[in-house]
Amino acid sequence: MKNTRMLAALAGTAFSALAMATAVQAAELRMGWWGGESRHVATQKAIEACGAKYGHTVKGEFTGFDGYLEKLTTQMAGGTEPDIVQVNWPWLPLFSKDGTGFADLRQVKGIDLSNWTDADLTAGSMNSILQGLSVSTTGRVFFFNTTTFEKAGVPIPKTWDEFFEATKTIKEKIGKDYYTFNAVKETAHLLTILTVVQKTGKDMVDPATNRVAWTPEQLAEGISFLGKLVETGAIKSQKEEAAEGNVNLFEKPAWAEGKISGSYEWDSTYSKYADPLKDGQVLKPFPILKVAGAVTDGVYAKPSMVFSISKHSKAPEAAAQIVNCLLNEPEGIDALGTSRGLPASKAAAARLGTQGEPEVRAANAIVMASAGPVVSPFNEHPEIRAAFIDTLEEYAYGQLNADDAAKQIIDTVNDVLAEYD
Amino acid sequence: MKGQRFLGLGYLGPYIIGLLVFTAIPFFGSLYLSFTKYDLMSSPDWTGLANYERLFTRDRTFFKSLNVTLLYVLLTVPLKLAFALFIATVLNYRLQFIGLFRTAFYVPSILGGSIAIAVLWRYMFATEGLVNMALATIGLGPIDWFGDPTNALLTITLLRCWQFGSAMVIFLAALQSIDKSLYEAAAIDGAGKVRIFFFITLPLLTPVIFFNLIMQMVQAFQEFNGPYIITQGGPLKATYLLPLYIYEEAFKKFNMGYASAIAWVLFTIITVLTLIAFWSSKKWVYYAGDKRS
Repeated sequence: MKNTRMLAALAGTAFSALAMATAVQAAELRMGWWGGESRHVATQKAIEACGAKYGHTVKGEFTGFDGYLEKLTTQMAGGTEPDIVQVNWPWLPLFSKDGTGFADLRQVKGIDLSNWTDADLTAGSMNSILQGLSVSTTGRVFFFNTTTFEKAGVPIPKTWDEFFEATKTIKEKIGKDYYTFNAVKETAHLLTILTVVQKTGKDMVDPATNRVAWTPEQLAEGISFLGKLVETGAIKSQKEEAAEGNVNLFEKPAWAEGKISGSYEWDSTYSKYADPLKDGQVLKPFPILKVAGAVTDGVYAKPSMVFSISKHSKAPEAAAQIVNCLLNEPEGIDALGTSRGLPASKAAAARLGTQGEPEVRAANAIVMASAGPVVSPFNEHPEIRAAFIDTLEEYAYGQLNADDAAKQIIDTVNDVLAEYD
Repeated sequence: MKGQRFLGLGYLGPYIIGLLVFTAIPFFGSLYLSFTKYDLMSSPDWTGLANYERLFTRDRTFFKSLNVTLLYVLLTVPLKLAFALFIATVLNYRLQFIGLFRTAFYVPSILGGSIAIAVLWRYMFATEGLVNMALATIGLGPIDWFGDPTNALLTITLLRCWQFGSAMVIFLAALQSIDKSLYEAAAIDGAGKVRIFFFITLPLLTPVIFFNLIMQMVQAFQEFNGPYIITQGGPLKATYLLPLYIYEEAFKKFNMGYASAIAWVLFTIITVLTLIAFWSSKKWVYYAGDKRS
């Protein structure tokens, strides 16, 4: 039955593609995305394969996540964005508040939209206009370096209490320069959110009032939890991180050596963190640790990035062919694999079956099996993210206590939310 | 004659078009945007002086960033000029391999503003970086270069000072153009090297010092790469220079109107300081042949 469905999905996709192939002239296209090394390699192979299939030339413009938003903003403001753009889902309201920021994907011929669920298509729409196609559903999970835990003879923790015990043991047995976790910038932000959501069962934004759903006391507790991670030596302090140059976790020698043995990351980024580990070390995804008294797992799951087509593209139908190929056709699906997480497209999911990295599948399974409230895209609004990161830094440097930090964050977030009333 | 006039206009045309398209229109465009609310994706909405009112009455980050920027300029410009003049003076002597030395000292100016050097700087000054390793060999440190708010600004300042090459080359050219007979006359009168430097060399260099002062001050106010790559404006906004704030408001927070207002305040500050420098130059800059001298 499963095979029949897979064949039907692929046959439908192939038929649509064939119908389009004869009508579209060869074009020179650009595609922009962010990612790590493995995603860059996979995507370059995929655009080459899809370009060759349809006779188009597709030039990749890729970078890391840092700076990608600014780059895309500049391009969007000047109308020079690539023909095909990878857009973070929370950015859709920024670039296309009224649904006119990108090409209407229902009007561009060549994409087999039957491969997405209605929920996916709704999530990719602004003002009911389809602006982006969901590439995958993603969420944050815990990655632990099991080699380090084994070396210290402690099991992987299942609760935060076990985690703090494990931290103590690892430091005593292997060395004080070992840290069981990493939480800076957006990871610190999302970890704070996680603990508050677990305690309250509510997302940061109350959809009924469009204001922060938490009380200052509830947020202060989450901020204090971050302080506890530093006090117990589970993570480095922000001052120490700054002293080391605020290097990305996957670029840190301590991470590669297993001296930092855990983090809270997107399920799809497994390779980015596993690849730098030195020989023999094993990184695995684990279920979300819960604080005492948690009422939910608090999983931070959301549509991942979407693929959009520029409204300024001179060859939107050629771009649509490439998008369809990347997400729905064997050439693109095989080359991309799970480099962006487990695909949302039915055709891709069917073709990949159990292919792809088992650890990415395991991580995604954890996300899908965990409970939590619906996540608002405002959690990752640039101004709200900056409010969290800046205030958490002031807290880390002792400029603010947890109560004042919580009040400051809530006031700033409410000011931003008020602009969208 | 008429044909020659058109020929002249033809030669000037590309420059005038470039000036209009790439400088004048964006310049006045940003002035207009500073009076609007503009999120880059939709049309600007005229808001009058609202951006400036917010800037001067409610924006704590602006005043923090302004203080940091002024401190940065105050530290960087004199240090860089003094260092450039010192090296230029040394390179003015007839040393062996002088050409090689001059080239070597100029290289950081070419490389210094690049992203690669900023990244290198981040690794050099990290806790376990080259600088702390070197300090450890003489029993010093380690110094928290980036984690301590005071040191972080100093580290960014050092990067800027290291790029002293262009100022140095200008000083060197000026030193070489000083009439040797003045030195000979001073030496005959029994003046020592220090006295000669302060009473002959330095006064004759004042026009070039003035030129370098203006250029370096304007460049320092526009510094971006160093703090953006190395410290991202932190810690605690200790290196959050105004260009970084303008950039984040414009391209991270989509407040192009507000960012334009900050840019115009920065432009006004630079203009006022430049005018003060020009006004004060009458009292300390010596031009050979000047009737006032």
